[in-house]
Amino acid sequence: MITFENVSVTYAGAARPTLRDVSFTLPEGDLCLVVGTTGSGKSTLLGAMNGLVPHFTGGTLQGRVVVGGRDTARYRPRDLADVVGYVGQDPLRGFVTDTVEDEIAYGMEQLGVDPVAMRKRVEETLDVMGIADLRRRPLIELSGGQQQRVAIASVLAAHPKVLVLDEPTSALDPTAAQDVLSAISTLVHEVGLTVVLAEHRLERVMHAADSMIWLPGDGTAQLGSPAAVLSSADVTPPLAALARTLSWAEVPLSVREARRKVQALGLSLAAPATEPAAASDDQPALTARDVEVRYGEISAVRGVDLDLHGGDVTALLGRNGSGKSSLLWALQGALSCAGEIRVGAADPRKLSAADARRVVTLVPQTAADLLYLPSVAAECEQADRESSAEAGTARAILRRLGADVADDHDPRDLSEGQRLALVLAIQLTARPQVLLLDEPTRGLDYQSKAQLHGIIDALAASGVAVLISTHDVEFAALASRKLLLMADGEVIASGSTSDLLTSSPAYAPQMAKVFAPVPVLTPQDVAKGLA
Amino acid sequence: MTNVRSLNAPTDDFAPERDPRSRIIGSGSPIREQSSSRASTGRVSAALIVAMVVGAVAFSWPLFLSHTSAMSAAQAPIVFAVVLPLVLAVVLTELTGGRMDAKALAMLGVLAAVGTILRPLSAGTAGFELIFFLMILAGRVFGPGFGFALGSITLFTSALITSGVGPWLPFQMLSAGFVGLFAGLLPKASGRIEIGLLAAYGMVSAFAYGWLMDFSFWPFAIGDGTQLSFNPDASPLENLHRFVLFNLATSMGWNLGRALTNAVLITLLGVPLLRLLRRAARQANFVPVSLGSTLAE
Amino acid sequence: MVAEGTAPLTSLHPWAWWCWAIGIGLAVSGTTNPLLLALIATAMVVVVMLRRSSAPWARSVRAYLLLSLFVIGMRVLFQVLIGGGTGETVLFTLPEIPLPEWAAGIRLGGAVTLEGLIFTLYDALRLAVMLLCIGAANALANPRQALRSVPAALYEASVAVVIALSVAPQLIESAQRVRKARWLRGDAGTGLRALGAIALPVLADAIERSMSLAAGMESRGFARTQGLPVKRTLPVMLLSVMVATLGAFLLLSTTLWELAVTLLIVGLVGTGFGLRAAGTRLQVTRYRPHPWGWRATGVAASGLLAAAVVMGTGWLDPTGGGLWPSTDPLEWPELTAPMLLAIAFVLAPLPLTIPRRFAAVSSVRTDVRVRGLRAVSRS
Repeated sequence: MITFENVSVTYAGAARPTLRDVSFTLPEGDLCLVVGTTGSGKSTLLGAMNGLVPHFTGGTLQGRVVVGGRDTARYRPRDLADVVGYVGQDPLRGFVTDTVEDEIAYGMEQLGVDPVAMRKRVEETLDVMGIADLRRRPLIELSGGQQQRVAIASVLAAHPKVLVLDEPTSALDPTAAQDVLSAISTLVHEVGLTVVLAEHRLERVMHAADSMIWLPGDGTAQLGSPAAVLSSADVTPPLAALARTLSWAEVPLSVREARRKVQALGLSLAAPATEPAAASDDQPALTARDVEVRYGEISAVRGVDLDLHGGDVTALLGRNGSGKSSLLWALQGALSCAGEIRVGAADPRKLSAADARRVVTLVPQTAADLLYLPSVAAECEQADRESSAEAGTARAILRRLGADVADDHDPRDLSEGQRLALVLAIQLTARPQVLLLDEPTRGLDYQSKAQLHGIIDALAASGVAVLISTHDVEFAALASRKLLLMADGEVIASGSTSDLLTSSPAYAPQMAKVFAPVPVLTPQDVAKGLA
Repeated sequence: MTNVRSLNAPTDDFAPERDPRSRIIGSGSPIREQSSSRASTGRVSAALIVAMVVGAVAFSWPLFLSHTSAMSAAQAPIVFAVVLPLVLAVVLTELTGGRMDAKALAMLGVLAAVGTILRPLSAGTAGFELIFFLMILAGRVFGPGFGFALGSITLFTSALITSGVGPWLPFQMLSAGFVGLFAGLLPKASGRIEIGLLAAYGMVSAFAYGWLMDFSFWPFAIGDGTQLSFNPDASPLENLHRFVLFNLATSMGWNLGRALTNAVLITLLGVPLLRLLRRAARQANFVPVSLGSTLAE
Repeated sequence: MVAEGTAPLTSLHPWAWWCWAIGIGLAVSGTTNPLLLALIATAMVVVVMLRRSSAPWARSVRAYLLLSLFVIGMRVLFQVLIGGGTGETVLFTLPEIPLPEWAAGIRLGGAVTLEGLIFTLYDALRLAVMLLCIGAANALANPRQALRSVPAALYEASVAVVIALSVAPQLIESAQRVRKARWLRGDAGTGLRALGAIALPVLADAIERSMSLAAGMESRGFARTQGLPVKRTLPVMLLSVMVATLGAFLLLSTTLWELAVTLLIVGLVGTGFGLRAAGTRLQVTRYRPHPWGWRATGVAASGLLAAAVVMGTGWLDPTGGGLWPSTDPLEWPELTAPMLLAIAFVLAPLPLTIPRRFAAVSSVRTDVRVRGLRAVSRS
């Protein structure tokens, strides 16, 4: 279906080729996962399948890409629209119209399909993707998962044979991701499409993949079965890390497979030593009592009590819309709310923005919102000025965080992980006692997440209280000691991470599910338990 | 300007089997109008010149309205409200049809969206019109044709949402189009001189816009029978005199506010915005095409 | 509960409503009879109340009424201050202040006469009703629905407009996010420096968004069925436009109105043909296009017939047929049979169209959010 013959791609002005001599053939009807760390060329590979590289993005393409019998050298992306459907990273940015039905019809209008056939296809597509009840809704009112499904529906309407998706589930919570993935599975198994998918959070998709392409980062690509590729790739979802720890030749792709293998091998694991609860006789760094946030008539957060102690890392889990973001903004003092919030002696809501920042600081979901200056150096200097710190503090923090970016880089050109590090450095210049992170792991690969874990550990060691809101259960298991579960605006459970995560089958990380009932959370715990 | 050719002309005939070692260099199609041939630049210029001529007639109608004509002063803008959309349709067709690809249209739409949300922010405060500075800067970076299209489309879109569509809209679209158009025709400069030039142009264009709009709707605003009204019996010069006084009395504040807003915004935001827009233009504009240059490696 | 989208709001083509409104506007511009004007205004308001939808943009009639009142007020003020002072009945006299010669020798103040005031009121009333026509058209026919029926030559331009309308609310959200983020950086200031800090990320975001949007459009086949610009259409269109302009010029400045109207119509038709020919290079189809049926023709025709009746009365009857009651000397305005006929035409859409049955419409976020910016900027 898709053939790459000795393909090399070099962008204008780049020192090295992004893809070097890539050759593979994807059979029809496969669900193929493209994996690799950030910057390894995944987007370029996907763009080459569609013709966007080089016709849209520019650059030089050597070799041949043939998709569905068409050579992308002779066909521009618009000519390939009836063979390849491409869905980019943020679906909301790709929407041209403002209602669901118009968006689905748009592609067909471009292809000149006659109106009767258009009506029929729109109805079919709405049914296949399960969004028929959304047909007249405005697109900006939809949730992330619904938007993603509408984006897929809008390219499906042209009846392509291949579907190319760039990180479809990175911004979604587990339920929405599940919806999207099951829709994709239906397309592969029922409709017979070939789907190529780039994803960071592999643990959700691995079991459905038929083949995997790994991009090591030097420009080459390896195609193989997922189990074989993962055993040698530098991308390590928990099951791959488990396989490496236990020296298995092939990586189990699902929890069930791993569990059966573990039971077949008769492995027994010592439960990890429960750490003694940290001496909580010292004053909590932040206390919140009965916090309530209202938006007009809707109450987003109700009656929340929490304590954050210095040196502790707490994770806040909950689905999208449960009020996590509102709670974090309220704790920072940026959102008006009822209830009592105290950091030390001060109430952050009553302080000025500059003072509140020195006490409680928040890194928002879209970290790039904070950046507006033309270079990294300018941002660091501005951060020093804003926090009344001496010159060079921000730069030093940035270097300590491990992201050594050149001074003259434009912050917009940085990768996700580097941008997050820059924003962290800017916010930490104020030396706050409490750090709040809102969904920091969005768009980060496993290596960056490990680095973030290191940064958070170092911060906790220096006495800062950290609260991370996330729906990445694996990261929460890795980085936090305490856990808060939030639903419908209320905190429904709080306790230590290992207790809460292992007690619920839905929220358990994969290691816990594999080794149940032993309360292990991460592959590192498994390694310790075996030794 | 680099001579860029679109890579694949729409054709269905298949070239014979290509040597797999040959390479294609993507043209990436620039945002600047693909005036790749003299003829098409000529077409666009012709359309814009006609627009200027018609605009001159349309905006100065009070000067040649005669007492003996069959139309009264109240009906004249309606006549032009019928003619001007034609002109706009023709010019926009020439500018966008077949010439602007997806990138240019997306940029046009998004910049018009920015203008659309800026407009109600300034409503209620006399003369703080925030939409013009973006048109001027975009016209400077992307060329006069893009500037004209951006001006008209911004006014049209914001009218759709906020103030409603009326006979003043074609006049507004045309004058805003001219603001963007002439911004693209300014002489080359760089650095602080460029910002100064653009700020000065901002002030001039603000007044020009105000005068053009006020003049074409002058009889509407004040009616007949006052000493400052349009007098069909009087000479054009006397009418102009009256108009100047009327303008001084009423809209000078607005025009001044508009001019000051333009100048201030361009001075403050000009450098980073020009940088952003030029970066976008650069990212979309690539290596010249040389199709099928096989490598004998 | 019907949401705005592809479901047509009234079953009537939006351009039919616009033709109706423009026809009435033409009719109104040909008379200053206050009785006729008031009755036409009432008829229009009745039609609007009974046939508009309840979407936010349909409530714009109030804004137009306020605008008309403002214009009336301003005109009366000017008449009082610098009026000519013709007529016999003097209401009151303001102290005169003659201005110097360079100010064209205008005298501020002076006698304020009833005739002058009434004349101004008649004229202002005419203008107010014309504005009301536009408000009615805006309320009855969503201009955005009219975008779907744009001629094929303007397709790309309409795509740009559609993109602008869809992206605007997303940019507002982006701006609000950036404003909240400014707080996080310790800078709660509003003012010129904060403007840069908010405007630049939003604009950079907008530009990046345009690139992703363009990539998405390309991948979905935008401009695939598009050929190169058709060769000979431009000279035809430009020539037609010049002819139409010449016609307008002649119409306004000379008495050769037959020639002028002919030139206008020739220009219009020529441009129409040119646009249609230019549109043949595009084979884009329309999803659920608005049908134009006999009802639409009826509604459009009713407006034009109203205009024809009023204009016809004015031209045929040498005394003006009661259309311009004199103010000096004052006389009572009267209604004649042709005027009643015109009013009947204004009311014609009522039997021709089906009333809206749905009570509420899901909000159109774009309009509501963008209009909400006005309230934000004031606070």
